[in-house]
Amino acid sequence: MATVNIEHLTYAPDHQDPVLKDLTATFLGGRFSLLTGPSGSGKTTLLRLIAGLTPLPTGATLTFNGQPLAAQSPQQRSQTVALLFQEPSTQFTMDTVTNELRFALENQQVSPAAMPGKIDAALAFVGITDLRDRNLMQLSGGEQQKVALAIIVAMDSDVILLDEPFASIDPATRQTLLDRLVKLCRDQGKTIILADHDLSGYAQWIDHLTVLHAGQVTTLSVAATQARLAAFTPERLQLTHVQLPTAQDKSCFEAKGFGLSQNDRTLILPEDLPLLTHKTTLITGPNGSGKSTFFRSLVRLGRYQGTITYQGRDIQRIRRRTYARHVSLMFQSATAQFLNVTVAEELALSQRYGNATYFTPDRIQAALAQLDLSGRDEQIIYSLSSGQQKKLQLLCMLMMAPEVLLLDEPFKGLDLNSIQAALTLLTTTQRDLDLTLIIISHQLGGLSPYVDYHLDLAHQQLTYQGVTA
Amino acid sequence: MKQWHVRDIILVTILAIFMGVIFWVTGPVYTVLAAALTPFGLQPMANDMLLGLWCMAGPLAGFIIRIAGAATLGELLGSIVEMFLGGMWGASTLISGIVQGVGAELGFAFTGYKRYNWMTLVLSALTTTLVTFGWDFFRSGYNKYQFGFMMLLLLTRFVSVFIFGGVLTKLITNLLGRAHVLSPRIRA
Amino acid sequence: MNPSLKLALVVLIALEISFTQVWTVNVALIVISLVILGLNRIHIRTLVWLTVVPLFFASALIWSLMLRGNATPHFLIVLFTRMFVYVYLGATFTQTTVPLELTRSLEQNAKLPAKFAYGFLAAFNLFPKIKAEVATVHAAAMMRGQVLHFWSPQLYFKVILTAMNWSDQLASAMMSHGFVEWAPRTYAINVPLRTRDWVIFGASLLLVQIGLFIGLP
Ligand SMILES: Nc1ncnc2c1ncn2[C@@H]1O[C@H](COP(=O)(O)OP(=O)(O)OP(=O)(O)O)[C@@H](O)[C@H]1O
Ligand SMILES: Nc1ncnc2c1ncn2[C@@H]1O[C@H](COP(=O)(O)OP(=O)(O)OP(=O)(O)O)[C@@H](O)[C@H]1O
Ligand SMILES: [Mg+2]
Ligand SMILES: [Mg+2]
Repeated sequence: MATVNIEHLTYAPDHQDPVLKDLTATFLGGRFSLLTGPSGSGKTTLLRLIAGLTPLPTGATLTFNGQPLAAQSPQQRSQTVALLFQEPSTQFTMDTVTNELRFALENQQVSPAAMPGKIDAALAFVGITDLRDRNLMQLSGGEQQKVALAIIVAMDSDVILLDEPFASIDPATRQTLLDRLVKLCRDQGKTIILADHDLSGYAQWIDHLTVLHAGQVTTLSVAATQARLAAFTPERLQLTHVQLPTAQDKSCFEAKGFGLSQNDRTLILPEDLPLLTHKTTLITGPNGSGKSTFFRSLVRLGRYQGTITYQGRDIQRIRRRTYARHVSLMFQSATAQFLNVTVAEELALSQRYGNATYFTPDRIQAALAQLDLSGRDEQIIYSLSSGQQKKLQLLCMLMMAPEVLLLDEPFKGLDLNSIQAALTLLTTTQRDLDLTLIIISHQLGGLSPYVDYHLDLAHQQLTYQGVTA
Repeated sequence: MKQWHVRDIILVTILAIFMGVIFWVTGPVYTVLAAALTPFGLQPMANDMLLGLWCMAGPLAGFIIRIAGAATLGELLGSIVEMFLGGMWGASTLISGIVQGVGAELGFAFTGYKRYNWMTLVLSALTTTLVTFGWDFFRSGYNKYQFGFMMLLLLTRFVSVFIFGGVLTKLITNLLGRAHVLSPRIRA
Repeated sequence: MNPSLKLALVVLIALEISFTQVWTVNVALIVISLVILGLNRIHIRTLVWLTVVPLFFASALIWSLMLRGNATPHFLIVLFTRMFVYVYLGATFTQTTVPLELTRSLEQNAKLPAKFAYGFLAAFNLFPKIKAEVATVHAAAMMRGQVLHFWSPQLYFKVILTAMNWSDQLASAMMSHGFVEWAPRTYAINVPLRTRDWVIFGASLLLVQIGLFIGLP
């Protein structure tokens, strides 16, 4: 059980304005702390400092049970504190689950004889014994996060830091991971600090919310915490307006005998499926079920069985360049979509090739204000916080105004206000320009009024869901 | 002298793999070019025309990472990766990886790893051309060509290395400089 | 055979035949490589691929030398067979060695610093992601109205930024999993370096020397 104590922490990246200002905070040993705060408030920065991944600035002190990290040998450090990252796939060194666990234990100089026992116990604790010989790159994001947690369990770290670990995790997996974390806290006295924007599912575990704002950490009272968490009730996650498609509804895509597989594993069994034009369709489904792979087939970035037609033509027969302008994908990673250096250049590019008659300079300025991005024209894209990048990416893709816009987790890592702004912008543009939107999202809060159809990918099948009133 | 850190090692390798993949994507260009030139006995021209692209990992790694040996390691790791992925030259990729790397490295070494500008890249292009040509002189029998043709190959190779390893690399590093991604690494 | 020694052997032989001109040794090496590949049940498709591609390039090179050069037939045969030695010799190594084994062996037997061994491995394991990323960058640019070619600086700019980003993430993750560049580590699996390995290594090299220098054509 280790208490984390931070005093006088002021941190400014690269001669910029400080992100953390004389921050003082205590995270009690054996407790579960939930850290939240607007996009760009410095959560990632703070967690990396605590984990020792960013060197501590002079004048600041950081102690674990009164001991600074520097006083410990490197091998002990990973037993004191470990960080679980937001991006699931770039946190492993080895090829398979077992080998990665071995790698971590080798680093801690555990004797080879003691390794199998520790590995078995950690896998069993997280409930992923069946994954032990799987290749890490072939696991879904949710499974990868479970493996990452198993490694921390095996390393037996006292303080566990998690930076938006559930950002791309389906609700069911999120629940199991959360249960495991709480169990670690309760049974093994681990100190857990978790950063998240989506506060649903925490109400029963959290009394005091920790908020990072204006460079300072404040702990909310029980009443204020309850008020914040109340915005994330289960009811908000219900989709109340979705209908089943009828014969009258026109479709833009028609998939015939469409099936998907990946490395000999079937993701989607062959089926016929229409996707409806000028509407908003939401696609949900567990991690690794094949949603992103489905999108990649729609934009011809992967193999599939059967045929897909777009407005009556086989998509494989349309010229690539033309097709890319009719059907576009907002990729899961924001930076994939950018081509230039500054925000202004990026907007100019979209204006040049996109729908400039609708997106007049005035309208762009209004949209930027809505998304809280104004005044950043000359900022370098890559120095924006991850939330800001996501919002800029959304605006750039909307300005291209393709007939069909596919959005792969557009709300990932956004706070509540940003999601609201993004949704408003999406739906007004869609209405005015008659676009077709198809959205993959794990995060359902607040989507209900905007979604016309709901496709669920489960048991290797995409099926439309209707509300039975 | 700056030390190698694990982050730099990973960066060099990922970069090398990326370049390898891009080269694979352009593979058809090479094959078509080679096939078109073969009837005239000019197949080595295809090799020399695209060699610059093949050797780009070296100057790029040297320019971005700025540690002694970065260019060599970039090319060497790239060739190891390529060997495992079944690149067509098998065992000799390892050796030519080192040769190309050393070629690019010399350009940086001559400037003492202090200056990173246009001059450095041109110098590196020159050394790359000479060293790799010397290697092909023995390995691929270039020493048996008529003198005029040999000079033509040498010139083609230099132009290619100059365009890809010099001009293109410079344009890329301009973009990187503007995005301020080069500066923190220099300080680190 | 021990992976590090095997690698050294393959590189040494490849280097040696680059500077010598004995085609009978080349043929012998090709035959031995093919036997080893056969014993290791190489897929026929891989073997065909490994044969057809070099066949084209080797023939084209020979053709070009005949047309534009003054090489003797003996030299042309040497050059032709040399290409195949490279390819098959490389294949015997890659077909019988897993990157992880090689990494462990280089760390334990060749005393390569762990940071090189595991840094390389971490990046290597990202290969499928890197491959997909190149396609993604092309497609994403097209959706913004721009076509990227292999001579577009923007393509490389994107790729380098991605590489930097991923290398930062991987390096942080390794640290978070307890990896310290200079600290000692234990080994879950020991890679043995037996006398047998040395004997095979020495004998093979000796045989090649004998072949090269007893005056075979
Ligand atoms: N290298 C840098 N140069 C300039 N600004 C930086 C740099 N690194 C971080 N920042 C700034 O620091 C602030 C905090 O970033 P951080 O990633 O910690 O935010 P966050 O709270 O994790 O945000 P999000 O919820 O979007 O993940 C951001 O506003 C960002 O612009
Ligand atoms: N390049 C690849 N190589 C091997 N397997 C892959 C590759 N890409 C995806 N997969 C596998 O295919 C399956 C489907 O992946 P996909 O990304 O489509 O899932 P998803 O439904 O989008 O999941 P998530 O909600 O986590 O984004 C996963 O099990 C994944 O591991
Ligand atoms: Mg963050
Ligand atoms: Mg996905």
